[in-house]
Amino acid sequence: MFRRCRNMVVTERTKMANVSEPLQVPGHEESHPDFLQHHFDTPAQQFGAAKLGMWVFIATEILMFGGLFCAYAIWRGQDPKVFDEAHHFLNKILGASNTIVLLFSSLTAALAVRSSQVGKRNLTSFYLVVTIACACIFLVIKYFEYSHKFHLGLLPGHCFGHPGLSAAIQNGEEVGTCLRMDVNSASVMPEWVRAVDEEGHVTLLSPRANMFFGLYFVMTGLHGLHVVIGMSILLWVLYKNVKGSFSPAYFTPVDLGALYWHLVDLVWIYLFPLLYLVGKPE
Amino acid sequence: MNEPNAPATFQLPEQMSTIAGDVDWLYYFIYWLSVVLFVAIVGAMVYWAIKYRERPGHKAEPTGHNVPLEIAWTIAPLFILAFLFHKGFQGYMDFDVAPAGAMEIRVNAKQWGWEFIYPNGGTDNELHAPVHRPVKLVMVSADVIHSFFIPAMRIKRDIVPGMFTTAWFEATHVGQDDIMCAEYCGGRSKDPNGNELPFAQMTGHWSMHSMVHVETEADFTKYLLGIGDKCAVFTAHGQSCPGNILVEAGQSLYTKKGCVACHTTTGTKLVGPSWKGIWGKQETTDHGLVKVDESYVRESILDPQAKIVAGFPPTMPPFRGQITDTEIDEITSYIKSLKE
Amino acid sequence: MAVVDIPVAGGAVGHAADEHGDPHANYLKAKSGIGSWMYTLDHKRIGLMYLTMVSIAFLVGGIFALLVRLELFTRGKTIVDAETYNRFFTLHGAVMVFLFIIPSVPAALGNFFLPIMIGAKDVAFPRINMLSFYIYLVGVAIILTSIVMGSVDTGWTFYTPYSVQTANSVISMTFGVFVLGFSSILTGLNFLVTVHTMRAPGVRFARMPLFVWGMYATALIQVLATPVLAITLLLLIAERFFGIGIFDPKLGGDPVLFQHFFWFYSHPAVYIMIVPGMAIVSELIATFSRRAIFGQFAIAMSSIGLAVLGFLVWGHHLFTAGMSEFATMVFSALTFLVAIPSGVKVFNWTATMYKGSILWASPMLYAMAFIFLFTIGGLTGLFLGTLSVDVHLTDTYFVVAHFHYVMMGGTVIAFLGGLLYWWPKMTGKMHDERKAKIGFWFVFVGFNAVFIPQFIMGSRGMPRRYYDYLPQFQPFHQASTIGSWILATGLFITAYTLLEALWKGKKAPRNPWNSAGYEWMTDTPPPLANFHAAPVYTRGPYDYHLATPEELATGPDGREIGYKDGHVSALPEHGRH
Repeated sequence: MFRRCRNMVVTERTKMANVSEPLQVPGHEESHPDFLQHHFDTPAQQFGAAKLGMWVFIATEILMFGGLFCAYAIWRGQDPKVFDEAHHFLNKILGASNTIVLLFSSLTAALAVRSSQVGKRNLTSFYLVVTIACACIFLVIKYFEYSHKFHLGLLPGHCFGHPGLSAAIQNGEEVGTCLRMDVNSASVMPEWVRAVDEEGHVTLLSPRANMFFGLYFVMTGLHGLHVVIGMSILLWVLYKNVKGSFSPAYFTPVDLGALYWHLVDLVWIYLFPLLYLVGKPE
Repeated sequence: MNEPNAPATFQLPEQMSTIAGDVDWLYYFIYWLSVVLFVAIVGAMVYWAIKYRERPGHKAEPTGHNVPLEIAWTIAPLFILAFLFHKGFQGYMDFDVAPAGAMEIRVNAKQWGWEFIYPNGGTDNELHAPVHRPVKLVMVSADVIHSFFIPAMRIKRDIVPGMFTTAWFEATHVGQDDIMCAEYCGGRSKDPNGNELPFAQMTGHWSMHSMVHVETEADFTKYLLGIGDKCAVFTAHGQSCPGNILVEAGQSLYTKKGCVACHTTTGTKLVGPSWKGIWGKQETTDHGLVKVDESYVRESILDPQAKIVAGFPPTMPPFRGQITDTEIDEITSYIKSLKE
Repeated sequence: MAVVDIPVAGGAVGHAADEHGDPHANYLKAKSGIGSWMYTLDHKRIGLMYLTMVSIAFLVGGIFALLVRLELFTRGKTIVDAETYNRFFTLHGAVMVFLFIIPSVPAALGNFFLPIMIGAKDVAFPRINMLSFYIYLVGVAIILTSIVMGSVDTGWTFYTPYSVQTANSVISMTFGVFVLGFSSILTGLNFLVTVHTMRAPGVRFARMPLFVWGMYATALIQVLATPVLAITLLLLIAERFFGIGIFDPKLGGDPVLFQHFFWFYSHPAVYIMIVPGMAIVSELIATFSRRAIFGQFAIAMSSIGLAVLGFLVWGHHLFTAGMSEFATMVFSALTFLVAIPSGVKVFNWTATMYKGSILWASPMLYAMAFIFLFTIGGLTGLFLGTLSVDVHLTDTYFVVAHFHYVMMGGTVIAFLGGLLYWWPKMTGKMHDERKAKIGFWFVFVGFNAVFIPQFIMGSRGMPRRYYDYLPQFQPFHQASTIGSWILATGLFITAYTLLEALWKGKKAPRNPWNSAGYEWMTDTPPPLANFHAAPVYTRGPYDYHLATPEELATGPDGREIGYKDGHVSALPEHGRH
């Protein structure tokens, strides 16, 4: 089948001499705008390639987080009771606030793309600033959550039950840390934690709960790192926008930056219910 | 193939377990299949490379299509591979599932050596097993992942800290083979100051070598007696332990547990009182007079500081947690036998 | 009849020279100075820089290999103590896998030829291409620092708990590998987008050169599998630094989970290693048989098949690790399934030679050696996929020999063949064929001498990663070590041949091998913009019956105007029809 088609095509074209098309000729703004890179033939090709590239990159990010979701599934399946008890120490109000903040920021990111698409530079800047501000709010709320756990000793691994990362208290002073890298901590093990959870109940958590908080910190920490990366990307896009680099013909970085931000939001949409919400009913 | 006993071939070690026969049959099946395929493919390649070599007057023919051929050589291998999968999985289940009633031997793996604990509590660094009887190894690691490997038995199983893993074999003839660790687990070849140790003191993954000795039932029983609680063989069959067995066991424990370091059996005083003729005597201790009987011997072993015989220092270490009741009985019997 | 720019006096209209250089000039000469290389966006120069770096990595990894084999020449201590030996085999593996073989074909040859073969001026994202190279350099620097700072002795697989407990530079080494992973991901991303958006008119997927199909399939794996390695290494670093406990049984973790995570990447990774090698072999067999590849569509699809199926079989590295019986059964069945696409390729390549016109030039020797050695490697994989037999053979030298046959006898052999094949195109110089062939025979004989004894040792019970061994294995170890010296000699001869060509080689004609491949239709070396005029393709890359004598550089009476044995000749000395 292939061969026949090829033959037909070849018979037709062998009648012609070597067919060539000239490479892009410089100097014509319509056919060679400033933003068109020299190895692309048309702006449409460049935009299509850029968009595809960002989607491929997003796929890699999903796979990376996927490994963590896998680990979560395994440990939850193995120790459901411990997970259930431990998750009461996550503040649902703060978590929900963060979810709303990120969802709202995704809206403003999409609106920034739309404004850029229709050439409204100032409106684009406004939306980008709001998105970045939301990211800051997210990080501030995260800081409060993290420091609360730090003080209660709800920390991963060897540090579970060791508020403030202390290994031991001798004569009222902290001696060494529970971090594995600290030589003095070689024999530090997780402890039981008795504390008031976010619903006001006094709960005793077994040392096995260290696994929940290990996953919590790694998953939300890696996500937080991506929030910072996303913010940096959007700051750069904002800078370029203020400089006037974008137009209805070329707003690719705004589009791709917002796309990345949507990914960051999406990961949180999965993290929030899995860590904060899922558990036995009260 | 109930009793695979073939000697070593060029490619494979001797067969020493009941599963070795099937494993080897499958190995050689794959081997000859591979030889045939290799000769066919490489033979065709070399033959055609020569026959159709580039030379004046020879032209290449345009490539055609032969879809039936392509489908054939895509589907046909599936059947062979399905067969290999099936036999392999069958053999794996034979390897994996120990027969009911197999004798359990506990294996402790650590950096860098093996310890085998037998049903009677006896321990050794080498594995002994009776021929024609299934043996199930229940394995734990103290530190990192190791792997228990006996080539002649065709068994191998990783030993993972934090869980029990098992392997089993039934030996088909008397003999011995190597036990090796098959999962890299580190090594030490320098002293704490960083100086290189002599080769003989270097230890690690490669030096976790032991032996499995397959012996007759009689020899195996003798072996168990030699290493462990000699009474277990009798009490396990509902009989009482003969006295001379207790005394012999006690004598062996006198050395094995280290009593010999401080107590003689000749009457000479060392750090501690000599055991010769001590049984039944009235001793003066720091807590008054005491008769050397079963209770006193027991207390002295488990809690030596309770009563110290006058004229001796309070330096005997307690053996609580490190000695069984039977072993106390055996030492007591031994002391009893050391008459004046 | 294909089109493209047989260089015609006057040339077609194109870009004027700009700050990137004259697009019509030879890419090596378009701009000069070290800055023009360090800041280049030209995929060809980036490819050459990658080639330089992976060659250095191959040398470093090879030296570690020679040291390992030298230590094993005799029992007891031969040259180093055990801890140093453990570091040697770990570094041999880590350097070879992460610094050499994973980047090798895609980043060096793929970068150079993928755009040319689809008629594009460059890859989709030249700046990301450059970034990928810089990230690679950073990764190499981190790993070199790690080696100097105490190095690693865990084996290249970093199994927990040993890798968490050992007092060595595990964190810096794994972080270096983490960084290298990004380089791999970006290269893959670039190739995927380039193939989808930048093919010239006439390059339908069905007509795409098989080398490009191979790069595409490899890119799929790079993009999907490498992120899992990233998270695995991050978790290992977190475990080692923070004591997170995910792999520590005392904290509720599972050491075997690390193995699952690690091999979920590392098994697809071996397809990142072999599929590009297979892609080169397709090109070599077609050119040197003067025939379209038999079953071209099947070869293209089998590359995709390997990419997909490769993700499903990671458990076959864990058959004795304590998985459930159900899991072992599923993984064994899938492992057999993944053998089929490889088999299809070998059959198709061999069938291509039937009734061809076979030129025994050095690249073809390597291609035939690939079929010989990869067949052995693949068939020994059958032993390891069969569960009961794998129990005996896993973690022995049988496995070591198996993977060296597929990785070295496969990828490295194909890589060398590709280098010799494309050296004229990349450098504009012809190498000395006689030296290349001598080097080949040393490599081929030496390679088999190293690894055949290892198969036998392994099935007789010699475990891997051993500093010392039982006496009965000594003759095998000695034979293997002597083989390593023969192999090293061959590799040095081959490297010398290639480097010598740069200085003393004759100027290469445009199409010395009289190939119908698309890359041979443009200048040798290619101009900066790859073509003088935008190409349109009206035939496939292996259509020898449709290509003109002009395109194939065979003279008007069908005789070669290319080269024979390193001599460029305008006179018909011997004919290739």
